[in-house]
Amino acid sequence: MNFKVRIAEREDCKDISRLMMELAVFEKMPEQVKITHTELERDGFSPNPFYECLVAELPEENKTKEGHTIVGYALYFYTYTWQGRSVYMEDLYVMPEFRGKGLGKELMSKVAQVGKEKQCVRLQLSVLDWNTPSLDFYVAKGAKDHTASEGLHLIRFDGQAFDNLAKEAPRD
Amino acid sequence: MDNFKLRKAEPKDVPDLLRLIKELAKYEEMEDQVKLTEKDLLEDGFGEHPFYHCIVAEQRGELGVNGPMVIGFAMYYFTYDPWIGKLLYLEDFFVMQEYRGFGIGSEILKLLSHTAMKTRCSSMHFIVAEDNKASIEFYKRRGAADLSLEEGWRLFRIDKNCLLKMSLRKEE
Repeated sequence: MNFKVRIAEREDCKDISRLMMELAVFEKMPEQVKITHTELERDGFSPNPFYECLVAELPEENKTKEGHTIVGYALYFYTYTWQGRSVYMEDLYVMPEFRGKGLGKELMSKVAQVGKEKQCVRLQLSVLDWNTPSLDFYVAKGAKDHTASEGLHLIRFDGQAFDNLAKEAPRD
Repeated sequence: MDNFKLRKAEPKDVPDLLRLIKELAKYEEMEDQVKLTEKDLLEDGFGEHPFYHCIVAEQRGELGVNGPMVIGFAMYYFTYDPWIGKLLYLEDFFVMQEYRGFGIGSEILKLLSHTAMKTRCSSMHFIVAEDNKASIEFYKRRGAADLSLEEGWRLFRIDKNCLLKMSLRKEE
């Protein structure tokens, strides 16, 4: 199948937002999506971007029946650990009708390439425990489950707990 | 204990940062996993593109060889959740054992959440090992949610060798 993986541009944010929503629905958490393409544009395409993104694109003549050429994306950023620089892949998604054709592998491979260019020593990501196809996909590439092996749990402070914490902060 | 102060880390703090990172690694029984050197910390935290930010807790009054002693630190960076936007990710958080129980950890956490709010982050995330009961209680008391338990997120890592294989993958 003919497709190409390229760096996302500002104009792609509407498509990325569409695909993000599909991923949120798949992960059974659509109500958690609070941002739109406006925030994506602001946060990814300003002088100090908070993420980088790659998109998988079909040629114009193969666009979907709804008229889309962007059918997959990978969103990632850089993190830091005791081993040094790391790349964290936050989202990887390919529309269901385009799976099994190498788009996911290509997107992830390009994220790994970008990471290596920036001298990153590892790639991290999180997967939901019931998402067997994704778990299998990553384990086949050599990923190790550190929640299972080390009991690592992802913790979050948000909403009221976050506000409360900030209210007690010392003044500068 | 109120004779301590919190401030942004500076390049001169790098030896203390590495010392505390190693103490934290020892506490988590993973000393052999610290690969960072002072050179890495300097380049990666105080160069053109910082991969991390750091707050240090410094003891007032008692002088070490080079001035007040650094007795605690928090290393963090900014990440991105495409559903909610910017997040503050807390990578390391440690107060030396002999200085615990005086509220230093609480003050660091409050300053971090204040920093997060000032920079328009909607949430703070971090990882805790499930057998680290003392830390889990500390965070739960402040309203944090365990997303691994509540939503089933598992942390995966792909190491350097597998990253290299992925980045060299030929296109299909």
